[in-house]
Amino acid sequence: MECGNPVSKIAAAAVLISLLMASQRLLAAEQLVLIVSADSKVEQLDSLEVRKLFLGLTVTQHGDRLRPVLNESDSRVKEIFLQNVVSMSDTTYDRSVLRLTLIQGQAKPTVYRNLELLLKAVIADPTAVSYAWAKDVAQNPRIKLLRVIWYD
Amino acid sequence: MQHVCYRLIWLCLALAGAGPRLAIAQHDHTSSDFEVFVAAEAFHGARGVQAGEADPWVNADIVLGLTEHKFRVFGEYYITPDERDLERFQMGFEFVPETVLWFGRFHQPASAWNTEHHHGQYLQTDITRPFIERWEDEHGIIPQHIAGALFESRQSIGKESAIQIEAGLGAAPALSDRELDAIDFTGGNPGRHRLSVTGRLAYLPEYVGPSSMGLLIAVDDLSVSSPRTLVALGSNSAKINLYGAYADWTSEAWRIVAANYYVDVALTSAARNESFVSGYVQVERRLSPFTVFGRLEDSARMQESRYVALFDDMDSDIDVALRRQALGVRWDYTRRQALTLELSHIVSLSRTSNEVRVQWSAAIP
Repeated sequence: MECGNPVSKIAAAAVLISLLMASQRLLAAEQLVLIVSADSKVEQLDSLEVRKLFLGLTVTQHGDRLRPVLNESDSRVKEIFLQNVVSMSDTTYDRSVLRLTLIQGQAKPTVYRNLELLLKAVIADPTAVSYAWAKDVAQNPRIKLLRVIWYD
Repeated sequence: MQHVCYRLIWLCLALAGAGPRLAIAQHDHTSSDFEVFVAAEAFHGARGVQAGEADPWVNADIVLGLTEHKFRVFGEYYITPDERDLERFQMGFEFVPETVLWFGRFHQPASAWNTEHHHGQYLQTDITRPFIERWEDEHGIIPQHIAGALFESRQSIGKESAIQIEAGLGAAPALSDRELDAIDFTGGNPGRHRLSVTGRLAYLPEYVGPSSMGLLIAVDDLSVSSPRTLVALGSNSAKINLYGAYADWTSEAWRIVAANYYVDVALTSAARNESFVSGYVQVERRLSPFTVFGRLEDSARMQESRYVALFDDMDSDIDVALRRQALGVRWDYTRRQALTLELSHIVSLSRTSNEVRVQWSAAIP
């Protein structure tokens, strides 16, 4: 029985160590993720649907009208949401949402400034869609992660 | 009467303060929203020109919307010291996302300006609206409030863009003494109200963006309800056919709003039919927190129109303008509050004037 080439073993160990280090970096990195309740039927939303939803337009899945929930529990989350989800400044976003209220009486997205309350609201409502840091929701079995919307 | 009005304005402000508590958003698929747009204005006109109905010193526009599954109810109530009107009241059913059939009193879709700004002053960069877009109770010459059915749909085309179709069918205003009388859900409705058919076909380069351009059409059959108007017009009805095109384009810090309308007025005596053209272009440039804007309004053959002359009551304010140049600056000095200064030069049917307006506007909460 052959014991194998020692050089190959060293190379394999090096690759394994590199992969482990990379995955460690990935786990440690900041990620903002799109979330829904674990009871939600929503499996995926593309970026245009997410933008429509948070700009107050109607987005439905499986016959349910989805409800946007804004996470303003920390200023950085809000900044990333404005830059990466709706691609607008705070003032322009506010005016866009106000405009839809004026034109059609559309309800503005609900805002939560407390993460605990936000997660409770999302868990309780299978139509609610929000976003949060991955580290705050990854271990929560009652929250479903749809996708990463930003990472560092 | 004024005391009642002020109390109503204060009541609205108090309700607005309680807005967040009133807002419902639960997992029973019901959501509602409540918003108040308030504004206060100071006016000075040269050569004795006074502020008219379009320049109340204070006004509040209350918007309330409720969504329950696919059903929607929406209302807009406007209050000034001289006026309290349910401007819009619509009940709708959303068949598929962004396709709604409404019933009620609505703003006709063939107005490029009013379907964007409605009565909410805060979301309008400038203080004044173009003369051709004025409301009926401001001596506006184009019917704006229709009672009936409104179909609205926005559908994707291609990867990002969309088309928007709107069509309205209902009761047009009646042509009374120096103004149009739209159907009023809370008051009397003198005169006969005949058919109004209005529509818009627009292209949106981005489904969720602010830019659009399109074609507008409106056919309003107006019944004359005033003896003085009957004599002046020599006709017991006027059929208004409006054909227009518009563009509302935003590119980074720039915004251009332009519209042009061809209006044909058919009277019962075919030989005396008349037509006129009216249009405007407004350019805005954001220099945060300021926005500088300028607007040019022009017209052709309006001074020859008997129909247009009906709306000029020759008092101390200007009811119908042939041309206007306006220039101004808006300062968004804090969240949801702005101060605006607007200077304008106006050529009306009977005189010219220069006007200065200063306005505070806000959205509450």
